[in-house]
Amino acid sequence: MKKLILLLFLLSLSFSSCEKDDICDEATSTTPKLIIEFYDVLHPTVLKNVTNLKVKEVGTVAFMSFDAVSKIELPLKTTEDITKYSLIKNSLDTTTDNEDFLQFNYTRENLFVSRACGFKTIFTLDSTTPYIKSDTSTPDGFWMQTITVTTSNITTENETHIKIYF
Amino acid sequence: MKHTSKFTFSTLLILLSFLVNAQQKKTDSIPPKIERYGIRVGADLFKLTRSFYDKNYKGLELVGDYRITKNYYLAAELGNENKTTVDELINFTTKGTYIKAGFDYNSYENWLDMRNMIYIGLRYGASTFDQTLNSYKLYNTSSYFDEAPIVTPGTKFNGLTAQWLEVVVGIKAEVLKNIYVGFSVRMNRMISDKKPENFDNLYIPGFNRTYNGDFGVGLNYTVSYFLPLYKTKSTPRKVEKKKK
Repeated sequence: MKKLILLLFLLSLSFSSCEKDDICDEATSTTPKLIIEFYDVLHPTVLKNVTNLKVKEVGTVAFMSFDAVSKIELPLKTTEDITKYSLIKNSLDTTTDNEDFLQFNYTRENLFVSRACGFKTIFTLDSTTPYIKSDTSTPDGFWMQTITVTTSNITTENETHIKIYF
Repeated sequence: MKHTSKFTFSTLLILLSFLVNAQQKKTDSIPPKIERYGIRVGADLFKLTRSFYDKNYKGLELVGDYRITKNYYLAAELGNENKTTVDELINFTTKGTYIKAGFDYNSYENWLDMRNMIYIGLRYGASTFDQTLNSYKLYNTSSYFDEAPIVTPGTKFNGLTAQWLEVVVGIKAEVLKNIYVGFSVRMNRMISDKKPENFDNLYIPGFNRTYNGDFGVGLNYTVSYFLPLYKTKSTPRKVEKKKK
């Protein structure tokens, strides 16, 4: 009988490996944002910082501000297969500011993550036209010279998806 | 507890034997203890009552055990559950049937004609069920866009299965003749389960909520009826041996 109790005790010890699973851990990979890196168009391997970059969805007012960074993260809409952004360089300077439109085309898939994190959306950029670059109605020229897609599968935020040369 | 009753029992036996010795030098007159063997069947009141007050839950569990030796009982539970889990991000419905089979070991030394149990046991559990993913929210760390509306796929995943091991600790007390009230707590450990595609078994009938995928807890509160089949007479242990 003592052996039996010992056995049951050991067995129940192995049960105690539980951990909290009702709060979504920040380290968990959930809906990824689009990772964009900026490079110098003259030296394509050198990262280049953008000054006073203002990014907003076309047709809206709320914007995201970035300054002196070469890498930005932009969310993609999880309700539509396109997200059209307006990117304004030197946004604080009315003479040198320049606005370009960048529309991303993609397909979406919802994946189960966990009880605490629910589901996430992953994106696949369209293979023929992953993005459409366009200028404003009063053309001020493109500040973004070249755009390349590094990976069209947007599943994590650990890698760069888009490279912009300017 | 066990030792205390053993001690009192032994002491009383000695005293009794002295008494008997003093009165007459005859044979031991302590009546042999009658052990009753039979089958006990009942139902879990916890699941039954929860079906009334919780609109997201319907469940029934029948329990039974059969005494095979003085301390060992074969034991089983058979149940059916229909539960809708409403979590912050996910809403799903689980429907299914389960069976648990194993044994109980009664570690309680009963005093005279009492027939109670304090037991530990082990079960093997198996369940077949289906999950319906009613709705879910998309988790998004970015708040730039408005929160995406709740997605309601209503996908049903059929033919799912799970099997697990369960450690049981419980008590059973005879409250009226042949009527027992019991309470037990259980810890479950998953052996294997067939998961739905792009979803998980967050609740399994019989196993209950899954923690970290393979851990679960449970309890039941039972009322059962004991059907005696046969009796044996066991003479009390020889106390004299211990007196050396």
